[in-house]
Amino acid sequence: MSEIPVQAAELAEHLQHFLPRQRWFGHKGAPIERVDVSAVEILKADWPMLIRIEASAAVEDADPETYQMLIGLRSVADRLDFLEENSGSVLGEVSTPEGPAHAYDGLRDSELALAAFKELFPHLDPPELVRPVLAEQSNTLLIYDERLVFKMFRSLAEEVNLDLEVTEALGNVGFAHVAAPVGVWRSGGKDLGMVQPYLAGAVDGWAMALTSLRDMFGNEGDPALAGGDFAAEAERLGATTAEMHAALAEAFGTELGSPKAWAAAMEANLKRIDHAGIDREAASRVFQRMAALPDAGASIRVHGDLHLGQVMRTDTGWYVLDFGGEPSRPVEERRVFTSPFKDVAGMLRSLNYAAWTAMAEQEVHKEEVAREWDERNRGAFVDGYLRTARRLGGLLPDDESTVNLLLKAFELDRGIYEVGYEISHRPQWVDIPLAAIANLY
Amino acid sequence: MDERWYQKAVFYEVLVRGFYDSNQDGTGDIRGLINKLDYIQWLGVDCIWLLPFYSSPLRDGGYDISDFYSVLPEYGNLEDVKELIEEAHKRGMYLISDLVMNHTSDQHPWFQESRQGADNPKSDWYVWGDDDQRWSEARIIFLDTERSNWTWDPVRQQYYWHRFFSHQPDLNYRNPEVREAMLDVMRFWLDLGLDGFRLDAVPYLYERDSTNGENLPETHQYLKDLRQAVDEEYEARVLLAEANQWPSDVVDYFGKGDECHMCFNFPLMPRMFMALRREQRYPITEILAETPRIPEGAQWAIFLRNHDELTLEMVTGEERDYMYEEYAHDPLMKLNLGIRRRLAPLLDNNLVAVQLFHALLFSFPGTPILYYGDEIAMGDNIFLGDRDGVRTPMQWTPDRNAGFSSADFARLYLPPLMDPVYGYQAVNVESQMRDPSSFVHWVRKMLQVRKLHPVFGVGEMEILSAENPSVLAYIREYGDDVVLCVNNLSRFAQPVQLNLNRFAGMTPIEMLGRVPFPKVGELPYLLTMGGHGFYWFQLVDSHE
Repeated sequence: MSEIPVQAAELAEHLQHFLPRQRWFGHKGAPIERVDVSAVEILKADWPMLIRIEASAAVEDADPETYQMLIGLRSVADRLDFLEENSGSVLGEVSTPEGPAHAYDGLRDSELALAAFKELFPHLDPPELVRPVLAEQSNTLLIYDERLVFKMFRSLAEEVNLDLEVTEALGNVGFAHVAAPVGVWRSGGKDLGMVQPYLAGAVDGWAMALTSLRDMFGNEGDPALAGGDFAAEAERLGATTAEMHAALAEAFGTELGSPKAWAAAMEANLKRIDHAGIDREAASRVFQRMAALPDAGASIRVHGDLHLGQVMRTDTGWYVLDFGGEPSRPVEERRVFTSPFKDVAGMLRSLNYAAWTAMAEQEVHKEEVAREWDERNRGAFVDGYLRTARRLGGLLPDDESTVNLLLKAFELDRGIYEVGYEISHRPQWVDIPLAAIANLY
Repeated sequence: MDERWYQKAVFYEVLVRGFYDSNQDGTGDIRGLINKLDYIQWLGVDCIWLLPFYSSPLRDGGYDISDFYSVLPEYGNLEDVKELIEEAHKRGMYLISDLVMNHTSDQHPWFQESRQGADNPKSDWYVWGDDDQRWSEARIIFLDTERSNWTWDPVRQQYYWHRFFSHQPDLNYRNPEVREAMLDVMRFWLDLGLDGFRLDAVPYLYERDSTNGENLPETHQYLKDLRQAVDEEYEARVLLAEANQWPSDVVDYFGKGDECHMCFNFPLMPRMFMALRREQRYPITEILAETPRIPEGAQWAIFLRNHDELTLEMVTGEERDYMYEEYAHDPLMKLNLGIRRRLAPLLDNNLVAVQLFHALLFSFPGTPILYYGDEIAMGDNIFLGDRDGVRTPMQWTPDRNAGFSSADFARLYLPPLMDPVYGYQAVNVESQMRDPSSFVHWVRKMLQVRKLHPVFGVGEMEILSAENPSVLAYIREYGDDVVLCVNNLSRFAQPVQLNLNRFAGMTPIEMLGRVPFPKVGELPYLLTMGGHGFYWFQLVDSHE
């Protein structure tokens, strides 16, 4: 390997100011006490150069977190046209044996982004075009030739990337509704990134639901008669969710459902959330009824954070994304087997949110329409899910009333979690989960 | 002569009966059509498709032919047809006609002879059987009226086979004399100068045990034989197959470029309607994704309305069919199923949506076929029964009988529309031609633009990603001829960002007004669309 052309200390100094500007940096707001550049390797040794670094940032009152970056280096004589609109992507000037150079986020440099792909995934056809996905939060996404997407993980807090682990496993068992990786970037036992097929023309479920709702609120009358009906999509989405669960069961195994343990976790969740609008006794009764179930169906590896924003509609049906689970929870907790109804409940809550937030955005008061849309689509989703899950077998308890109880308990649990979330993040929305759980006791 | 003229053409489907009456008998005729050729040419049409004009007892709109060699007397005679062909050619237009291959009328002399007994020369020209049990796998297409594909003939004391109405016995293509006879029918009309045929109901020519009798290899072989004869004996003629099947099955009718030149793409139109209703593009992009590539020189025929519709009977049991579930969830769609209506009433006379549909039709891969009257956004009369409702007289003027005929009103084959919205006083050619902002002028303008760009007929299509599900955007590309089409399927205004980095540095020029838009850069290209709006952009190198 060639000699590293820049001083780690010099980079670290720039990173102090660079990191807080990045969307993927986890500790925004808190001042950075120190940055350590722990690893540097060269990906491209000639000008413009590309190096990979890992840097950990120490922040007050928090564990230091390690991030990965690809840094581009160009002589200061070069004009950085492509960075003009992205001054936030420039680290600053560094000295190299060849003279002073600009250091910057190398993935913003099309030439380097193409070179990086070639270097990291030599078995894939070298692409010709690249563009960044600007909306991404926690990782960095680049689209190559409108057919592949390269996801570079930013935080390296965990060695194993759960999203990669699950998508790879689902691809291996032949689940067709996931963008199974075609290239994996691992080094020193750590997952650093992956390449997946790009779902061209895909739209996320939230946008699809809002299209339907916009039409519904613009109309008068029966949602079944409105043009923008979403029910057929919701039913397909339910079927896809069931197929996903069957594939997860095949890939990671199945255990007997343990309603007692589930109920204990739900009780713990209930204890954490303090709001007068929650009927704690009634909620607890539902959890206890579930705990007493003799047969609660299967316990499997689940998606863990399934909602409308995690599914994409393509020309060939729905795709499921982001199997990382809730990022705030520790990895081991996110891998724990649980009831597939956890995911079903997540989607049902998401449909409910879509209906009520859309109504608020439309600035109308058509509660009846929101309610009917919600009921129609949750019904269709559950129908699609149960029908497919029954056909595939191995997931559901035999008894229909048990299914209903599980649905109710998991949705209630999810709603209570949302109340807690809204209290601390968006108090104006707290009525949405509160109204929903009031129907579930 | 361009052997593949049909790939870049625009077709116009004419019902002779309903177009123009030249002899005041209340029924449109061939001479009437000749009188109106200037109008069709003015509109920008390249090829006229005539519904059957042969002798017929008219129990199935002329699809029950009783003599392949003569013209229905109400329409005129052979001399009139010759003159029509000449006059169309003079104006640079082609002319094709319907031809029913599968069956004849039971009034046809061939059938009358065949039914006389098992030992006459034509005894084997139709499909006879002693019982009505054979080929029970074949579905019954006209379930409303027919209970069996076999009907008892009291004369011959046997059953005869028919895939459609019982008065339309199927010809027996296992008989080489029948194959030759039908080829001779084609030769006769091609010799007169006709530019080709729309072949009606082609999947059912042959029957075979233990099959459903559709799309059989022997049927394809016969079509290949026809094509070979047409190619060898004539120049630049076209065979357009009507096979109301899935695109993946229909594509077989192109063969390897050695069967039919064109086939209808049936599922596209209902998908467009569904997409507009759902305000999202998936119903369309799915069917486009499922539509297989076709051989070099082949072409899809696409339409918004004609007298043929996709019905759910066509797709029953097909899990892959997206529409099945959509229809099942949508009472209004179910209601419209199988009901033949014109485009404007189907879209609630929302002219912006009607325009959007035409913009889609004119820019999708395939040759667009307009249905007479749709260019003035004519309505229908559902109380006439489902076939006649869309076959009312063409509305030429606001005068008596819509300017279609000067016969007594009571003599007209069907009454013209007279309601305040779609009636001929509100909707007619004359008024619209006087008004430069009318629908007919808009259609004409679109066809003019289309004609300048062969890419619409022969270019590749690439659907573009857009995060907004209501926007359908695609690139049509044929060499340097690159067109970007963006369509808003929602009735609300919508923004869209398109990834056009493959075209970075090029300038989009709006094709109706030739207005240059901002140059395409590295960043997503932002457009705002009015409700049901659309754009056609030509992408040109900026230094041009």
